[in-house]
Amino acid sequence: MAEVKLSNVRKSYGAVDVIHGVDLDIADGEFVVLVGPSGCGKSTLLRMVAGLETITGGEVRIGGRLVNDLDPKDRDIAMVFQNYALYPHMTVATNMGFSLEHRGGSKADIAERVKWAADILGLSPLLDRYPRQLSGGQRQRVAMGRAIVRDPQVFLFDEPLSNLDAKLRVVMRGEIKSLHQRLKTTTIYVTHDQVEAMTMADKIVVLQAGRVEQIGAPLDLYDRPANQFVAGFIGSPAMNFLNGTITATGFAAQGILLPLPAITPRHLDEKAVYGIRPEHFALDGDGVEAEIVLVEPMGSETQVRMKLGETLVTGVFRERVSQSPGTKIRVQPDLNAIHLFAADGGQRLN
Amino acid sequence: MKADLSPRTKMFLYGLMCVLLIPFVFPTWWMVTSSVKPISDIFAFPPQLVPQTYDWTTYSKVFELQPFVTQYWNSAYIAALVTAGTMLVSSMAGYAFARIRFPFADAIFMVVLLGLLIPSEVTIVPLFQMFLKAGMVNTHWPLVLVPIFGAPSVFATFVMRQFFISLPVELEEAARVDGLGRFKIFTRIALPLAKPALASVAIFTFLHSWNLYLEPVVFLSSADKFTLPQALTQYTDAYGGPMWNIQLAAATLTALPVLIIFIIAQKQFVEGLAHTGLKG
Repeated sequence: MAEVKLSNVRKSYGAVDVIHGVDLDIADGEFVVLVGPSGCGKSTLLRMVAGLETITGGEVRIGGRLVNDLDPKDRDIAMVFQNYALYPHMTVATNMGFSLEHRGGSKADIAERVKWAADILGLSPLLDRYPRQLSGGQRQRVAMGRAIVRDPQVFLFDEPLSNLDAKLRVVMRGEIKSLHQRLKTTTIYVTHDQVEAMTMADKIVVLQAGRVEQIGAPLDLYDRPANQFVAGFIGSPAMNFLNGTITATGFAAQGILLPLPAITPRHLDEKAVYGIRPEHFALDGDGVEAEIVLVEPMGSETQVRMKLGETLVTGVFRERVSQSPGTKIRVQPDLNAIHLFAADGGQRLN
Repeated sequence: MKADLSPRTKMFLYGLMCVLLIPFVFPTWWMVTSSVKPISDIFAFPPQLVPQTYDWTTYSKVFELQPFVTQYWNSAYIAALVTAGTMLVSSMAGYAFARIRFPFADAIFMVVLLGLLIPSEVTIVPLFQMFLKAGMVNTHWPLVLVPIFGAPSVFATFVMRQFFISLPVELEEAARVDGLGRFKIFTRIALPLAKPALASVAIFTFLHSWNLYLEPVVFLSSADKFTLPQALTQYTDAYGGPMWNIQLAAATLTALPVLIIFIIAQKQFVEGLAHTGLKG
């Protein structure tokens, strides 16, 4: 196990910069998730830590050791790939023991390590099978087995659950998390799925266009996003945004005046974006008027698409909403959960 | 064939296939049956599809008139050497062109491919002069070296490159993380997975070498050095006229290993073609 430190890490392909100086400290044993939309550079960053991509500038340190110019094999890392990358011509046992065999481990030692990993991952009955004879979930487990068998300093996961169906993804999410809790190995995990990020991470790094937007614990990011991008990316259904102006009486959005928490006077009359998560609306006769556009009963809750003034927003209510589209209802935003962002640049104002 | 075809359509398709088979099967049938006919029966009219009389002595004459066993061995070992050499060269070159980034790789590959456009007849005279200077005329060296470093190998390199390009890059990256260097990745990961492509290269190359005619005629002059295609032309009477039945008996013996290899390796052959995206 080891800490990982990225200092001003940059990556360019010719004249095109794809990673613009990333700083990141990952503590020993921490589970860090790199999350962001497609093309944000999260996989590139992970591959730079792995040594599969060269580093244009900055430093990558693993366990205090500068690894910029080291081959992947010398970085003491193990990686799980999106499509598992199991060797098709080797059995599960050979796949898992391959790196140990190549590093000159004794047969007895390799067998013991493979058995240990197979027991942890429930792969013992599958050791003589070939990858083509396994299901998606089993292949995923073998890929993880291949990673843990070596007891590396750092695990790297590159969107490992993307090829699984939704149900299996939830199961494997839990397995990876419990594996981490058991082994306590420093882990860097890349995903574009913010639910995976929220449920698995000790710390989330949100990336956009090769830049870090925010680093923090999952609930910190959820409760206090640093900017409009993070606010919109984290959370499902996504946060609602209304454009308007901060006034002394409230937030003047298009066709509606919304209540505001106390805000410093310097932001008065400033153009801004009003952010509120769907679950922070409450049905309240004293609230602001909204026109129902669509009602989606989910069983445990009801999602309602509604118009606040001229803006279409989503509300999630514990109550069952039975009104039909076109009906007017009254909803109250939770004043403690209002997020205000600058109209220019999207930085948080409150 | 799809299971949901009607019996009538199936019958039609099978019938069509039988008709299409005729141009492929008939020459082989004619060769085998004529090899045991007296010469006069070969040209009899109407043609005899099934021999009226069987003359098996043609097969013993094949061995009496020429050092056929030696010529058989010549063809076999030259084809084996060429096949092994081409597999080695083409797999390494194909892998390099597919996976190793080096300056002008694509341009160099295009230049290499141009080798396929030059007919062997064009290069045979300069090659003869070259091998003459090297003292290799009337030896088997030209028949081994020219295909390994010539057009057959270029084609094989193309086949192997196409295969290696289709291998997921992640497999090699996983191997790099597992501690393998470039050469070990080639030998332990890429090459074992390339078996279908290697099999098709082996079959193509073996057949090419086995059937090679022009080069042996140019480079070899003594009967004990001849390969089979060249030896077939030597079964002539005192006036230079061909002894058809003996020649066809020798041709049958020559075609036999090729047929056996194809029957044994049919699956790999078809798989190899499918992998490379080429059509036969």
